[in-house]
Amino acid sequence: MEHLLAARTIMGLSLGFHILFAAVGMTMPFFMATSHFLYLRSGNKEDLILTRMWSKGVAILFAVGAVSGTVLSFELGLLWPEFMKHAGPIIGMPFSWEGTAFFLEAIALGLFLYGWDKMHKWVHWGSGLLVGLSGFASGIFILSANSWMNSPSGFEWVNGQAVNIDPVKAMFNEAWLHQTLHMQLAAFQAVGFAVAGIHALLLIRKHNIELNLRALKISLFFGAFASLLQPLSGHFAAQRVAELQPAKLAAMEAHFKTQKNAPIIIGGIPNVSEEKVDYAIEIPGVLSFLAFNDFDAEVKGLDQFPKEEWPAVTVTHFAFQIMVGIGTLMAGIGTLFFYLVWKKKLNSNAFLRTLILTSPLGFVAIEAGWIVTELGRQPWIIYGVMKTKDAVTKFPDLYFHGILFLSIYFILSLATAWLLYRQIKVANKIWEIP
Amino acid sequence: MSELLGVFLAIALLLYILFGGADYGAGILEIFKGKKLREQQSELITKAIGPVWEANHMWLILMLVILFVGFPSVYHSLSTSLHIPVIMVLAGVVMRGSAFTFRHYDAIKDSSQKVYSFFFSLSSVWTSVWLGITAASLHRGLIKEGSQVYFEQYVAPWFGLYPLAFGLFVSSLFTFLSSVFLIGETQAPSLRSIFQRRAFYSNISTVALGALVFLSAELEGNHFARSFFESPASLVSLTLATVLLFALWHFIKTGSNNRLRIVAVAQTSLIIIGWLSAFYPNLVVTSTRAYTFTELAAPPAVLKQILIALIVGLILILPSLFYLFHVFKKETFRRKN
Repeated sequence: MEHLLAARTIMGLSLGFHILFAAVGMTMPFFMATSHFLYLRSGNKEDLILTRMWSKGVAILFAVGAVSGTVLSFELGLLWPEFMKHAGPIIGMPFSWEGTAFFLEAIALGLFLYGWDKMHKWVHWGSGLLVGLSGFASGIFILSANSWMNSPSGFEWVNGQAVNIDPVKAMFNEAWLHQTLHMQLAAFQAVGFAVAGIHALLLIRKHNIELNLRALKISLFFGAFASLLQPLSGHFAAQRVAELQPAKLAAMEAHFKTQKNAPIIIGGIPNVSEEKVDYAIEIPGVLSFLAFNDFDAEVKGLDQFPKEEWPAVTVTHFAFQIMVGIGTLMAGIGTLFFYLVWKKKLNSNAFLRTLILTSPLGFVAIEAGWIVTELGRQPWIIYGVMKTKDAVTKFPDLYFHGILFLSIYFILSLATAWLLYRQIKVANKIWEIP
Repeated sequence: MSELLGVFLAIALLLYILFGGADYGAGILEIFKGKKLREQQSELITKAIGPVWEANHMWLILMLVILFVGFPSVYHSLSTSLHIPVIMVLAGVVMRGSAFTFRHYDAIKDSSQKVYSFFFSLSSVWTSVWLGITAASLHRGLIKEGSQVYFEQYVAPWFGLYPLAFGLFVSSLFTFLSSVFLIGETQAPSLRSIFQRRAFYSNISTVALGALVFLSAELEGNHFARSFFESPASLVSLTLATVLLFALWHFIKTGSNNRLRIVAVAQTSLIIIGWLSAFYPNLVVTSTRAYTFTELAAPPAVLKQILIALIVGLILILPSLFYLFHVFKKETFRRKN
């Protein structure tokens, strides 16, 4: 494997690994705080058991998220030293705020996990909520740093050096809002559906029906609500990308030729050498409308960019379609959820089966979305300013580095899955209600 | 402003060594738990560091953020010339955090506990030694940017007796801090006497390894020992730390929790101050020259922003951290012995 590709692979896998745990750390505490709140208000035993069950899962996943996040903060420099040398001072502000938020999250988690019976019950509840709030905030700061790579601002690039740095402007760059909104909703969606899927499985097997039904309601309330908002945020994000990174939008949509009344392409296989998409369904005008609210607007195609500045069209396009497809499906299930809650028919087997099947899809969509963001920005690491190949480390032994961390991530994934499996197994036995 | 940021960096380093160090040390101590009271020792360690370990390691993140925002070229050297020791540290950090959490939260306590304990102890030694190696290499004077020879560029900066001695010194210091911390965490006389003994022996080994650090610096001809003994601040710190040894041994013997902790913290702080003063105002020494804090600092606009972020951040963090320790550690500070 070529050096640059090796570095990108390591980075991609590290990010792809971390994001799963980070999403849980940002959102699950809110589920916990909800069940905990219900318990404190009504004294319902099941809500307490549920809070405790969830908190153990969170403790495990948070730890893996924290250590893999530590790795990432070093890996940015280990793999992309030239990038960090210039970008560090510019996007240092969101990173320092992220550090602060993460610090608070760690403190709050310690208080929440070990503080049962040691604090006033509402202060203890507050510490649990603070885990969620600070985790959520730290996610926003990290996204701000990433969005700067897509829409760099707050500095001037003179002779390969950044001058006149304005960290505040860099932090609140043009891409900040849509990326943050889109990812934070996605985290609620993915985690909500994943947790609901586990409880749906337990419901189908008739374990602790009352408890699992409550769990399903809480988690899917968050998940379904987010999945209904997500299409709006996705639309907003697409419009921003059309303006800020037309090459990325073109790759996402496999839109080769600049044209007015541009069609949206559903399915199909991009044929990059002939600059067309085979076997696709095209609906004229829709892309123009989605991107610029006007069926006749001109949408820049890849032909506006030199070929060496094209992102990987096929992968970006497929990943985008997967993400949108899953998002649409989840919005449908979300609507169904609210309908079934209204009709009091949540415990229907068909719905529970659907939830089990769709349970991992949110995470698939998150990974696909990040592939779109990151691969869609290539060949740039800082869009329009620095190319990825100019940022990569000169350290030649990336195989060793890569294999070491891939094995660590592999073992950790297996171990985490095994631990969660054991949690669920034991939980069923201990709390089987006659 | 770069000096002020340097002070923050030094404070974060000190807090990481004290809190994070006591945490690493706990993992190292588990190796030596002998035949007596094995279970109780592990239990005590989990209970003592469980609520605070995540927070204790945040100081490392804070240092890292200060480095890459405020001193980007130091972060650059760390990630290029010291690529290998840094990934060794990272591998250890990942293993350690996961093993500790898994051990505590595994719902079924079976033979897998042994596996977690093994990795927890192994990675505690591993990580602390590599942390020391990395720190020692920054001022060792063998960082050679731009060399085409693999060994010269990526291995020589951290390879040798001096960084190794420094790494061993660091892990011994951590073990010492942890023993002192754990004495106060229990009231059981049998456990206390175990950790009192450990505190004494790890203190002796820390002193011995400290001497080895100076000796190895002279042997390989780097300037560390000389600059240390030429700096008045370093000499004063070393003398005070040495005098405090007698108080320390006395309190280890009598088992006065709080006094012992205060003396241990004072000694460690003195060691850090002495170490930093030895090369102040330099931050990194490469094969060609020494770079000072001011030279390596980011532009003033950036320094101002990170200082604001640090101050506001600490206003949020310190009270919550204090509350965390208040909730979980107030008893251990109230107990006299």
